[in-house]
Amino acid sequence: MILDAEVYLGPNLFGPSYDLDTLIGALDAAGVERAVVCPARPPKYHLEPANDAVADAVRRHPHRLIGFARVDPHQGPAALAELRRSVEHLGLHGLLLHPWEELFCVNDRMLDPLLAYARERGILVQVAGGFPVVSHAVQIADLARRFPEVTILATHGGQINISGRGLYEAGEMLRTRPNVYLQTSGIYREDWMEDMSHALGAARLVFGSGAPYYDLGFELERIHRLHLPAADREAIAGTNLARLLNLP
Amino acid sequence: MEVLDAHTHVDESPALGWMDPPEMLIPLLDEAGIRRAVIMAYRDAPAPQLEAFEYVANAVARYPDRLWAFVRLNPRQPAEAKRLLEYAVRERGFKGLKLHPVSFALPPGHVLVVDLIRAAAQLHVPVLFHSGDDGQSTPLEIAPAAAACPEAAIILGHMGGYFHTADAIDVARTYPNVYLETSAMPYPWRIRDAVRAIGPHRVLFGSDGPGCQPALEVDKVRRAGLAEADLTLVLGGNLRRLLAQGPGAR
Repeated sequence: MILDAEVYLGPNLFGPSYDLDTLIGALDAAGVERAVVCPARPPKYHLEPANDAVADAVRRHPHRLIGFARVDPHQGPAALAELRRSVEHLGLHGLLLHPWEELFCVNDRMLDPLLAYARERGILVQVAGGFPVVSHAVQIADLARRFPEVTILATHGGQINISGRGLYEAGEMLRTRPNVYLQTSGIYREDWMEDMSHALGAARLVFGSGAPYYDLGFELERIHRLHLPAADREAIAGTNLARLLNLP
Repeated sequence: MEVLDAHTHVDESPALGWMDPPEMLIPLLDEAGIRRAVIMAYRDAPAPQLEAFEYVANAVARYPDRLWAFVRLNPRQPAEAKRLLEYAVRERGFKGLKLHPVSFALPPGHVLVVDLIRAAAQLHVPVLFHSGDDGQSTPLEIAPAAAACPEAAIILGHMGGYFHTADAIDVARTYPNVYLETSAMPYPWRIRDAVRAIGPHRVLFGSDGPGCQPALEVDKVRRAGLAEADLTLVLGGNLRRLLAQGPGAR
């Protein structure tokens, strides 16, 4: 089973966007059976209608899509209220934190109520990782240290640096924080994924495409071509995340 | 279709933890159907490590039909770097110069860097810059070097990385001596954008192997949706033409 941990739905203030039909078509074309769908940040800024749209998409494609909520931590109590609404009324299954697009440092203490709620409900937290200033691996590791019971997916494996300068800290994050998972979207270096799989176990790697920011088919090709045993590639492509999400 | 790789690494850097002898790279080239690849070190010569130079030269000596070498130099030692460049190209068959400003920490437009680029141009060999998102390596920071050395062929390796591919294409459009190299950056469609913007003759396939998987990097170029003739140029024809301009080319 191929399960994509990260696709975005809806009009996007920051550019590339999928409407629902295009998203489903892209999943079909790439052979992806299920996907975690996250709201893009709408041009009108308000995340509440975007969370509603994700919930509606899940209702229309209940066997294909798993919905994550998106909130802006700067909104304080309103962010927590929206997360509650998204989980308890809309039935969404996780929280997307996008420190680059909402502009906050991911280890900022203002996130504590959101993480405490995720801990209480046992929901996954996906962090857009590796963005300069706001979500370096050391910052994600700091958040993970304070909330060891919360499972965190770090996109890009927590490093976006084509000089390879992020690999060491990202490796340390994964080694020291067992609640952090290496999510593979747009990632720099296939040999690093293989090394992490050998060192920490393939169970710590989760396929995500990050589409439409990244090319869905190409991102899946990264996983298919990894020089790892077939069973490990299959785990990374879907079953690891299915287990984390308690999917049947 | 001949596939040639403009950007790979052979070196052993204990400091970075990257231990990649040629035996790591060659099977990956085989898997990807790459006939021959340009290799370069992870370490600058002459400082901090002169042995990186010999390491790369020895790798080419062992695989003369599979590898070409670019010499990776540190412009902060100007006299020695220039001497080593001339020795590398004239005496040891190196085919180009690799500059990694994030490593030697000088702006690409700095006089020391420009002087070394001019020396490469006099030897008729291209200059491959690491060009990503870190300061002193972005395309707009390399542009002054391209402007100062119009006689030099300047390759933007990684074509601007994650956040600067649009800048890389703009710089190549402005300066006809700038080439774009496709390795590691994650967007197949940017290769199509590049060919549309500057034509097919200045876009070069590179893999950044063995760290980035060469077969996957070839697949990325194939996903760009290029016309067959353009694909042939990007995957190999352009690099062969570029390297044929140097001394002793074959």
